[in-house]
This record gives sequence, structure tokens and C-alpha cells, in this order.
Amino acid sequence: MPILTEFLHNVSLLQDLDTAALSTLGALLVSKKASAGAVIFRESDDSDALYLVETGEVVISKHIEGPVDVVLTTFRGGDFFGEMGLFDAAPRSATAQTKVDSILWRLDRKAFLHILSDHPDIAAKICYRLVAVFIERLRSTNEQAREAIRWGLEATGYSPMANRALFDRKST
Amino acid sequence: MSDPAKLQLLTRSPDESGFDIFEIDSNQAYSGFKPQRLPETEWELMRQPLGADGTRHFVLKNLRKDRYLLLSADEHFLWEHFDGRNSLDEIARAFHLEFGAFDYSLIRQFLTKLYHARLIEDHQARVPERDFVTPQTRSRTHLLRQVFNASRRFAVRTYKADRYCSTLYRCGGFVLFHPITLCAVAAIAMAALAAAYRLAAHSLDFARLLSAQPLLSASIILFTLLIASMLHVLVHALACKSHGRRVREMGFFLLQGVLPTFYADVTDIFMSNRRARLMVDLAGPMVEVLFGSLAMLTAYLSSPGIDQALLFGIGILLWESALINLYPFSFLELDGYNILADLMAMPMLRKQALALTPHLPRRLRNIRSIQRAEIIQIGYLTLCLVSVLVYLGLHLDAISALLPFEWR
Repeated sequence: MPILTEFLHNVSLLQDLDTAALSTLGALLVSKKASAGAVIFRESDDSDALYLVETGEVVISKHIEGPVDVVLTTFRGGDFFGEMGLFDAAPRSATAQTKVDSILWRLDRKAFLHILSDHPDIAAKICYRLVAVFIERLRSTNEQAREAIRWGLEATGYSPMANRALFDRKST
Repeated sequence: MSDPAKLQLLTRSPDESGFDIFEIDSNQAYSGFKPQRLPETEWELMRQPLGADGTRHFVLKNLRKDRYLLLSADEHFLWEHFDGRNSLDEIARAFHLEFGAFDYSLIRQFLTKLYHARLIEDHQARVPERDFVTPQTRSRTHLLRQVFNASRRFAVRTYKADRYCSTLYRCGGFVLFHPITLCAVAAIAMAALAAAYRLAAHSLDFARLLSAQPLLSASIILFTLLIASMLHVLVHALACKSHGRRVREMGFFLLQGVLPTFYADVTDIFMSNRRARLMVDLAGPMVEVLFGSLAMLTAYLSSPGIDQALLFGIGILLWESALINLYPFSFLELDGYNILADLMAMPMLRKQALALTPHLPRRLRNIRSIQRAEIIQIGYLTLCLVSVLVYLGLHLDAISALLPFEWR
């Protein structure tokens, strides 16, 4: 348990919690070892948990067509993902897959609801940090959308600066 | 310039046991892009005659959107290859083999032109809409500028011009383009010339009569010129119909915010041959020739007085109007210029010549490198300049009368 607490101290989501709170939370986490290429969850799966990355790398991607996904982001040790699953029962919006052998910790929605009811002070600190992360990720998504559009425009050769004049003859 | 945008793509193995992540920048996607032109039923291409500068142009029409593009030989080559089977990389190689050089910006610019004319399939990019935000000021000059800008933007147009012109053509308009009509106009013009020659002896008397009633004279003459200008444009449009081509629109606007001007968009005549275009160009000025001649003949048959003076004045002004219209070297794109541009097969002659003007001193310093097209453009500019100076010289009396001071 001390090793887990030490790891939890490094998780950005939990940086406002003290050791006692981390111990309380640690008791609710479930360990999961995943080999390289393992799918943690797929897009449109039921969502019911958040994952903390202890070691390894997890790629989050969204399906485009056939075997091709677009990579949204990559998480490493100390990061967390799947946080929407704590609040929202809607299907997963992206796929999470390990890039290398990884160790993850899973926090179920049930466990989170238990913290909310029994330890509201811990829940408040987690939620506060979650909102900050949501905002940061939203900014990053906006930037990603802008980059994707720029990519599309460049790929098509579109240039608003190029000669746009069409051809006509008006007899006066 | 920023780096090319990048996209990370994750591609799974067939058994989904693993995946690879590729980072693709837009240049790579661009070179692999296979432009697909619209199906052949949706466009029309017309090869133009070989130009005096040794180049050939093509006019490409989008039949669905009624838009036109003037293509150079290079662009025509690209268009032929935009069949959805060749990537830009392959097209660039083919282009290099054909012309010995290649610049990707040529493809970029041409694609943009095609997108704007909606001649390429599945393109999502749209022209950004511009919002013009003008500061709200109360200054008088700003108000004047706003009125001036509003008058410049003032325009009345009809997009049903083709329907109206078709009806008019069927209901008798076709008679205008019969050879007998042309012979009749020529005969009337000859008779009117003879009449003008005889009336010329009284021209000073006519001028005195007209200047005695300036408001009446000016109003009637301006009104007549306006009607003649409207008919001039209508006959252009009917001539276009006589070749089975579409009149895109007709309308009225204030040239430079001041001069009332009618126009007919007869771009579709480029999908016919050169003879048809020349006929459309010549048809308009025939209106001024005919009405000027009729005015002159009526003046000859009238008894002396203000009526005769007005008819004589109208006849002279309409003939002058026809001459100005048919004279190609005036810096304006009038009928004569269109005829010249067509005969030389250089449809962009004026624009190219004007674009050359700022670079003229530099080009003239390196006279050996001047190309044939530039020699033609310089010739055009010189003739325009000389013509305008001669015209002003011939009308010095009229110009000095407008000046508020004695200049001689």
C-alpha cells in the first residue's frame, strides 16, 4: 500500500489529497496489468470507470474508417483517462489501447459514488482538480480541431490568397 | 510560413493484435491527393485560336453553376489530368516531362480557381465570407464617401435576361441579324453621311441654336444617348441568342459611381467560335450607327430650327459614340477592344498590359529579355496613351469651356 500511495501522490488528479485521503482512495482502486496492444476499452463500450496510469503508455484514438483511427492523445505514468465514465453512462467516445506493457489502476463509478457520499471533502478536491483538467483538455481539443482543419485545407491545396477571379465578358 | 500541419493516424493490423502510429503531414497528403473534375456532362471546354503572342487559351464552363474559367495551356494540361486517377505527384511529373519545368504553386492556384468555379468534386473548402465593419463616424467627408461608395455599389440586374432575350429573339429579334438588315443599315448610313456632308455647312448655326437652349438640348441629347445605350446592350444580348448562347444577366450600374451604364453578360459566347464573338461585338455599335443615321436623315429633311439642330447634334453624338465603342485603344474594355482581343486571341490583353505598367521601366532597361507578349502589351499601352492624348487635344475647346478660368 505505501508504494501505491507514493504513486498516487504523483497523479495530477490527486495532487490536492493528503496521505490519509490517498490511503482511503487507494483501498478502492483495482490494479490492472495490460500487455502492449491490449485494448482497455473501445469506442462505444459502456463507460463505468476512470483509469490511472502507473507505468507504460496508453493511446487514445477515435475511429475514422477501416483499420484507421486518428490519435487524440497519449497518456503516460501519472496521467489518468476515462474520467467521463465517472459521471456519464454514455458509451465511450474513444478507444484506449496500451502502446507498451502498462500498469493501470481502475476506479469504478460505484467506488467514486461511495467517496462522494462518505468522504465529500475528498470528492470535492478530486472534482475541483477534474474541472481544471477538463478545461485544459477542452483547450487542447480546440487546438487539435484547428490543426485538423488546417491539415485538411493544406492537403487540398486550398489557398484564399490564390487568384480567385473567374472569367467573364460584359458588353456595355 | 508555419510547418505543414500534422495528423497522427493509428492503423491496426488485420488481426487487431497490434497497431502502428504514422505521423502524416499535409504535404504528403497533398501530393497523394487525386483531383477529380466533374463528369463530362457537367462542363464544356472551348479551345480558343492561337494568340498573337504564341499562346493558346481555353474557356472552361461549368454547365451546372454557369461559371467560366479562362485556362492557359498549362492549366489545360492539368485539367486533362484531373480525372481522379492521377495523384498530384504523378501530375507534377507528367507536367515536368511535357513542359520541362514545374511549380507546385501552379497546381495550388489552379485548384483554387476550380474550387471557386465548383469544377472539382467533393471539395469541402468554402470561400470565407468577409464582414466589412465600417467605423461609425459623423464627419461630413465620411458621409460623402459613404454616398459615393453607395452609388458605386448601386446596380440593378436581372438573372432572367436569357428568358426575356429568347422571347424577344423569337418574336422578331432574329430579323436584326439577317443579311438584308445589315445591307439596309449600310445603305441608310451612306445616305446619312451624304446628308451630314451637306448639313455640315450649317454646323455653327446648329451650335448657336443649341447653346441658346442649353437645358433642353442637354436633356434631350442625354436621354437619347441613354436609350441608345440600352438598345445597344439589348442588341448585344440578342446577337448572343442568335448563336444559341446564353445571356447570363443584364443590368444597369453607375460606372465609377457617376456614369449610367447598361450591360449584358455574354460570356457564354466564348463557347462559340471567333466569328460569333465578332458579330456580338459589332452588333451593339450598329444601334448607334443606325439611330445616328436616322437622326441625320431626319435633320436633313427638317426645316431649319432647334429641331433640326437637335437631330444633327444627336446624329453626330451617336456616330461618335459608335466610333468610341469600336476604337480599341482607349484603356477601356469596349466593343472595339473585345474585337482586338479576339482577333489577337489575347483575351487578357488589357489586364496584362496594365499589370506590366509598374514594371515597364525595369523591363525596358533589359530590352533583350522582352518577350513577344510583352511587346504586344507595350504596343497596346502606347497606342492607348497616344489615342487618349489625341482625343483630348481634339476636344480642347470643349474642355476649356468647362474650366472655371481662362487658360489661354
